[in-house]
Amino acid sequence: MTAVHPHAPTGESDGRASTPIVELRGVRAAYGTIEVLHGVDLALRPGEVLAVLGPNGAGKTTTLEVLAGLHPLTGGDVFVAGRRVNGADPSDLARTGLCLIPEGRGIFPNLTVRENLRMASHGRRSAREIEAAAFERFPRLGDRRKQIAGTMSGGEQQMLALARGLATDPAVLVLDELSMGLAPLVVEELYEQVASLARTGVSVLVVEQFARVVLGVADRAAIMLHGCVTDVGSPHEIESKLSSAYLGG
Amino acid sequence: MNDNTQRIEQFKAEVAGMKLRDPATGLDRLLVKLGVIGLVAGPGFGIAAWFIAHGTRNPLQQRDAIVVALLGLTVAVVGGALFVKGAIAGFLRFWMARLCYEQQAQADRIAAAVGSPSGNGHEQAERVG
Repeated sequence: MTAVHPHAPTGESDGRASTPIVELRGVRAAYGTIEVLHGVDLALRPGEVLAVLGPNGAGKTTTLEVLAGLHPLTGGDVFVAGRRVNGADPSDLARTGLCLIPEGRGIFPNLTVRENLRMASHGRRSAREIEAAAFERFPRLGDRRKQIAGTMSGGEQQMLALARGLATDPAVLVLDELSMGLAPLVVEELYEQVASLARTGVSVLVVEQFARVVLGVADRAAIMLHGCVTDVGSPHEIESKLSSAYLGG
Repeated sequence: MNDNTQRIEQFKAEVAGMKLRDPATGLDRLLVKLGVIGLVAGPGFGIAAWFIAHGTRNPLQQRDAIVVALLGLTVAVVGGALFVKGAIAGFLRFWMARLCYEQQAQADRIAAAVGSPSGNGHEQAERVG
């Protein structure tokens, strides 16, 4: 996975020639008249994990929403698998295998765990296959299969969201603030799953405010500030720049 | 080719085959507008047919007017269906989003009350419920 520095030649920043599976070029987006993304450049290569870090209000979530087709662009281009998909319907993108797990989990709180998983059975896999895979990956969900999802702990709800996302057999997994509101141990457990998923070749784009765990999983990382990607590099490089980025030093 | 490469190739093929709708065209809104036009034009055809039928004693022309009236009825029914579909889809999207949000908030309140360390969780849960 590679984050492309603004204006750097796409696909060459780490010396490999593989075409990015997802690429944002000069993406601009606004809420009403207020522009919040001022030309975001990012590239995610097949089978890699890219962590986008930045403080609250940097535009990370909006970037993911633009990528998933949930928020309109005001400029720039979004490429998925080499095709320009500006204005694509979110459901079409999801059907192809671009899976966004939104901030706040996005599960159906009034449905049981099984029913939530069944909601993802519209694609290639049957409900039974989905349940088997989800419960194998997250045994705790298997124990709670009949429980109303909204009554589970935050970590279990996030597991369910992840399991449901994986049930769609994604080629690209986009995670927004996976760690939000969760205990550090739970976050580590979830990121272990993300790491194992990445090892199977799924490309993962993950946005986080809290860097420590995600940098251990990522192949590359980027810092986003004020609607722009300001730094890209290896997790080690980015970690050393984080405090100045967050504190403005 | 391993499974992963196959999946990526499949992903690329599916993205390549994806039909991209131009968001500027707003197909949904266009269909609702067509529906409204149909709803207005349909009865117009009927009224026109009534005048045609009353303006002649020629049975052939009167039969033509019946055909026009039936066309008007069809246009009105199709227009009505398009309008109702568009209106209900918009409403249901909003309703579903609101329902999800409210249920999540309610579930959070119950979970917080039940798991409250203050020891009066059951009391709070009853109050919330």
